[in-house]
Amino acid sequence: MEGILAIWQRDLTKFFRDKARLFGSFTMPILFLLIFGGGMSGTMESMMSAGLGEEAGDFNYVEFVFPGIVAMTLLMTSVFSALSIIEDKDFGYMKEILVSPISRVSIAVGKMAGAATVATIQGVILFLLIPLLGLSYDFTALLQVIPFMFLFACALSGLGLLFASVIRSTQGFQMTVQILVMPMIFLSGALFPVNNMPAWMDVIVKVNPVTYGVDVMKKIMIDVDTLSPAVVEAMGLNITVFGRQVTILEEILFILGFAAVLVLLATISFRRANA
Amino acid sequence: MEPIIKVTGLKKSFKKKEAVKGLDFEVQEGEIFGFLGPNGAGKSTTINMICTMLAPSEGSIIINGYDVSKQKDKVRESIGIIFQENTLDKKLTADENLKLHCRFYKVPKEKREQRIQEVLEIVDLVNERKQRVETFSGGMKRRLEIARGLLHYPRVLFLDEPTVGLDPQTRAHLWEYILRLKEKEGITMFLTTHYLDEAEISDRVAIMDEGRIIAIDSPKALKSELGGDIIELETENNVSASEEIRRRFPEAEVTLQDETMYVKVPDSDAFVATIIKELTAPVTRLNIRRPTLNDVFLAFTGRKIGEAEEQGKAGS
Ligand SMILES: Nc1ncnc2c1ncn2[C@@H]1O[C@H](COP(=O)(O)OP(=O)(O)OP(=O)(O)O)[C@@H](O)[C@H]1O
Ligand SMILES: [Mg+2]
Repeated sequence: MEGILAIWQRDLTKFFRDKARLFGSFTMPILFLLIFGGGMSGTMESMMSAGLGEEAGDFNYVEFVFPGIVAMTLLMTSVFSALSIIEDKDFGYMKEILVSPISRVSIAVGKMAGAATVATIQGVILFLLIPLLGLSYDFTALLQVIPFMFLFACALSGLGLLFASVIRSTQGFQMTVQILVMPMIFLSGALFPVNNMPAWMDVIVKVNPVTYGVDVMKKIMIDVDTLSPAVVEAMGLNITVFGRQVTILEEILFILGFAAVLVLLATISFRRANA
Repeated sequence: MEPIIKVTGLKKSFKKKEAVKGLDFEVQEGEIFGFLGPNGAGKSTTINMICTMLAPSEGSIIINGYDVSKQKDKVRESIGIIFQENTLDKKLTADENLKLHCRFYKVPKEKREQRIQEVLEIVDLVNERKQRVETFSGGMKRRLEIARGLLHYPRVLFLDEPTVGLDPQTRAHLWEYILRLKEKEGITMFLTTHYLDEAEISDRVAIMDEGRIIAIDSPKALKSELGGDIIELETENNVSASEEIRRRFPEAEVTLQDETMYVKVPDSDAFVATIIKELTAPVTRLNIRRPTLNDVFLAFTGRKIGEAEEQGKAGS
């Protein structure tokens, strides 16, 4: 436990010390909020609510896209934080970690928790923009979504750990992540509903773990019970797998399992590693 | 007494290259054990295998009674290592680096402060404690690494070329610290170096070349095995002079290296008196000295350590 905490705390300290990275990491979500939340919201709203008739007035695109952009921030920060592993290898510190008696699973969990904490903090900081965007989410809903954001960020950091264990160079890592992250966001329902996709794309949407994370966040944050079924459908919040609609609990369990599998893989890779 | 390190039949092959070709040796508790050899001899590879960082291709290693391939955690608790390359976190302060190490090694909370103070005193870094490592000079970083390696009171401390890249003065200081430590704590030390004078502080030295140990003994015994003194000799015609010496002193060993002849004789006084008077080619330079480990290396491999390194570089 002490080992996990030590590794976790080190990554956090270094994150807050690196001011450039700290502020730089907010540019992307803010840019997206400007484009999707401001500039394009009217267009998106009329497109998505086209079939709704008189209920169209209940559809607020900004309310829909905000959790998606928070999820996107979680994804980017979590995965990119795994870069610290490659840096630790390059600068030699990984040897200090690996030659110590810390169990390999603690190293994996510590690294995952560090990245996830940083990502969650960033996501929560974005909540400050809610009033500026003219939105109002239920306060308890916001409090409820934070633990899930952390769990979701753990799963995504695990993905980063996996990449970092296969890819050796910083450049290679950044390229791979950039290539993978964008489709994971676009094909997750974060920015627009993924209702009527061609079959092959629908398969990608359904295997993409981000889809379920985004869905859970939206279901918690957006007050779905007060919206009519048609609006909920238009928002793409009725995900079906093999013709069966998945529940929020199933989605959470899926993310949990996903994170667990990735911790296991990361542990194996640290067991083999000799930096 | 059980040896603290016992290595048997140790081999390591990388894809194309066999870096370590079968080592057998033991290190006794409390000893300073040195690995001396040119670049690429396999010193770091061997240390990394002993420290659980590299899986051996063959052979077994027992350290502090634990099997390195099966009881990695126990082995890791028993050792401290200063790697050949720097492994500090430069973005953190000296203090933070040391505290992290305490946590990695489960040093009890109430003992941490006192131990950090203690190791910082040994390496003279008490006043720099709160500074970031990136502001340190190379020598300070090396000292901090040594301090960190000691924090958890390891049974064996490995030092892989601890003084590489440091100026002679800092090097001398560092060895002072290391010797002070060994006296104070009685830690077993396992060090590698390609500086011959550094190897001389060891209780025993293993001379390594191309993945094999070619000699292992105390520096004194290794040197006396050579027998007698070394006479460095330059004459106006080295070739004819060396033949003449061989003819007249059948017991002398003569090696020609560049402009210099190295002659090893049991009784240097009589030898020098004779050649100065009677050698046909006039003597231009003469120097008598006790053998060094360099002569030992030369005698075993036919090369000087410096040359072996140059060949290594040219080959790679
Ligand atoms: N990871 C590796 N992959 C392939 N070859 C390696 C690897 N590590 C070491 N070698 C090779 O093994 C040989 C021994 O290397 P090693 O680092 O053990 O030498 P050394 O005695 O420590 O030398 P130096 O004094 O330069 O540190 C070298 O020829 C080196 O090229
Ligand atoms: Mg080496």
